[in-house]
Amino acid sequence: MSQPQDFTSLQKLLQLKRLETPGQEYFDRFVDAFHRYQRQEILREEPWYAKVVEVLFEPWVAGIPRLATVGAAAACLMAGIALMFGPMGSGTAQLADGKVAHAKGVIVASAEKNSSAQIQPELMDTAAGGEVTEIRPLYVNGHGAVAYDSQLAF
Amino acid sequence: MPADATKELDLENGPTDEELVAETLKGNLSSYDELIRRFQARLYGVIYHLTSNHDDTNDMLMEVFDKAYRSLPTFRGQSSFYTWIYRIAINRTFNFLDKRKRRQGAMSLNEINEEGLPKFDFPDPIQRNNPSKSSMLNELQNKLNESMLQLSKEHRTVVTLFDIQGLAHAEIAKIMGCTEGTVRSRLHYAHKQLQKSLGIYLRR
Repeated sequence: MSQPQDFTSLQKLLQLKRLETPGQEYFDRFVDAFHRYQRQEILREEPWYAKVVEVLFEPWVAGIPRLATVGAAAACLMAGIALMFGPMGSGTAQLADGKVAHAKGVIVASAEKNSSAQIQPELMDTAAGGEVTEIRPLYVNGHGAVAYDSQLAF
Repeated sequence: MPADATKELDLENGPTDEELVAETLKGNLSSYDELIRRFQARLYGVIYHLTSNHDDTNDMLMEVFDKAYRSLPTFRGQSSFYTWIYRIAINRTFNFLDKRKRRQGAMSLNEINEEGLPKFDFPDPIQRNNPSKSSMLNELQNKLNESMLQLSKEHRTVVTLFDIQGLAHAEIAKIMGCTEGTVRSRLHYAHKQLQKSLGIYLRR
């Protein structure tokens, strides 16, 4: 078995590098030099892509946790893939009884553009345990179709 | 402890980094100047030992403090200001080194001439009292810098933070965003490489 290596001499030698310093005079003047630098930087406009590069490579500096950046990038990628390969449409499907299922609830054909309407019994069964429930329409389109947010009934 | 006594203690020790950050955010710019004074020499050291060039270090140091100042509103105190600004400095320097590498091609020992390497800024008494010692140290310094430049930037960073700046493994791990085990293993590898290239200067 090989013996553990002793790096003591090397570490002493490396400490010599502490002497490689510009000296106190440089540091005494540094704050003033920095103020001049800052004034010049304010006048220089940063290119638009600098912020993108910063968020991607230094998210913690931009105040964004690394995990959030990865998550956001993954979400963008998934959205892109879904847009490219997913079915095209408005997110609605025609139901057998004339109603339209929508991602946000069930759209019910209605003659009037009421601000409230009675929910259909089949939806009510699942949503409110069999009682008739009035819910606020999510939106009313130009043809009098009302969309209800099914989550409102729960 | 009475409140006045605590206040007195704080005044003796001076404000903490985090207190200075808070003051800066309130618009007290002299607090940021104080933060600069606290960190300028240490950050200069880190950047310089990674770049081995004083001019580049000066430019980078300005950039780091400017970047930190502009990003201060996003500093949430999840890490200490110390760790945060070190991370900015190291990350910026890594980006700079990558750009320099792309610009110049991979740096080989043959391409490093004596003029390109920085000189020791010895304290005056060494220069005046012992010129031969100064010259010997300059030669040694050149060799040290050559050996450091042969290491990868990650290995050079752990050597700089541990051997030159005297930081603990745990602190280095926080700054570099890796485990203490990784720090130790990088350090061991770097020491082995440096021992190999600096062997003739090391007395047993």
